[in-house]
Amino acid sequence: MANEQTGMTKSETQDLRSAESTRGGLCFRPYVDILEKPDELVVLADVPGAKGEEIDIDFEDGLLTIYARVAERQPGETQFLRREYGVGDFYRTFRISEAIDARAISAECADGVLTLHLPKSEAAKPRKIAVKAD
Amino acid sequence: MMKNLIPWRNKQVGEGRPETAPPANLRSELEPLFENFWRDPFGLAGWPLAAAEGPWGPAVDLSESESELTVRAEVPGIDPKDIDVQVTGNQLVITGEKKESGEKREGNWYHRESRFGAFRRAVPLPEGVDRNKVHADYANGVLTVRMEKTGASQARRIEVKSK
Repeated sequence: MANEQTGMTKSETQDLRSAESTRGGLCFRPYVDILEKPDELVVLADVPGAKGEEIDIDFEDGLLTIYARVAERQPGETQFLRREYGVGDFYRTFRISEAIDARAISAECADGVLTLHLPKSEAAKPRKIAVKAD
Repeated sequence: MMKNLIPWRNKQVGEGRPETAPPANLRSELEPLFENFWRDPFGLAGWPLAAAEGPWGPAVDLSESESELTVRAEVPGIDPKDIDVQVTGNQLVITGEKKESGEKREGNWYHRESRFGAFRRAVPLPEGVDRNKVHADYANGVLTVRMEKTGASQARRIEVKSK
């Protein structure tokens, strides 16, 4: 029902193969936008409710993992009149190839949006070769 | 009835997407000129795009305590100045606009799931909300609107006297 009403819902994820949830509760897959710039890929992930310091970004064996912990918003005994979305952590993984310089990945978070910068490795950057004229 | 109150729903977007997509695949083979690589580096082709056109509305939670009503909506990536909260009649109306930064507008998209543009959401309120005591704040992408109940609708504890 909530889907029809709002057109903006979160999808739960069961994809926790590398990080078992220790808190229990729900885990969501954040929506991401990915765009390409000449020298990097930018991943923008919606992680409402997560503070920057509560977001773990791991890179291991070519797997980039985003894990954002989201604190409870309401005390446990809250009486809900209407509940359309769940509150839980965000988790998503991406497999990154050698075309990305993994050591130079950086991230920042503002207003519930996590921005990840994935710089292209030197080999993958577009290169312009000047033609010399005699 | 609820559906009539929210004219901005967009069925197309809400339809579920696969719950367990395999970790997106960045191809590593040195294909000619990286062609396939750069076309679909995250293996996301074929996913339904959430970035549909048209107005939309955020999902809300509405909760109640003894003295106040709280509406919370997840609206990440919005400048608080672009959010407008109004109480009209017995409705709380949240309107706003999620603007695309210039960088995003001009970028070459690989994949797009988030939504942009104007949004509107009307939430019917129960009786007895003090319209003059509504507080809204925005933190980490979550909008919280607190409305105090009027004296008449606040829960009161009635002591049972025994003779």
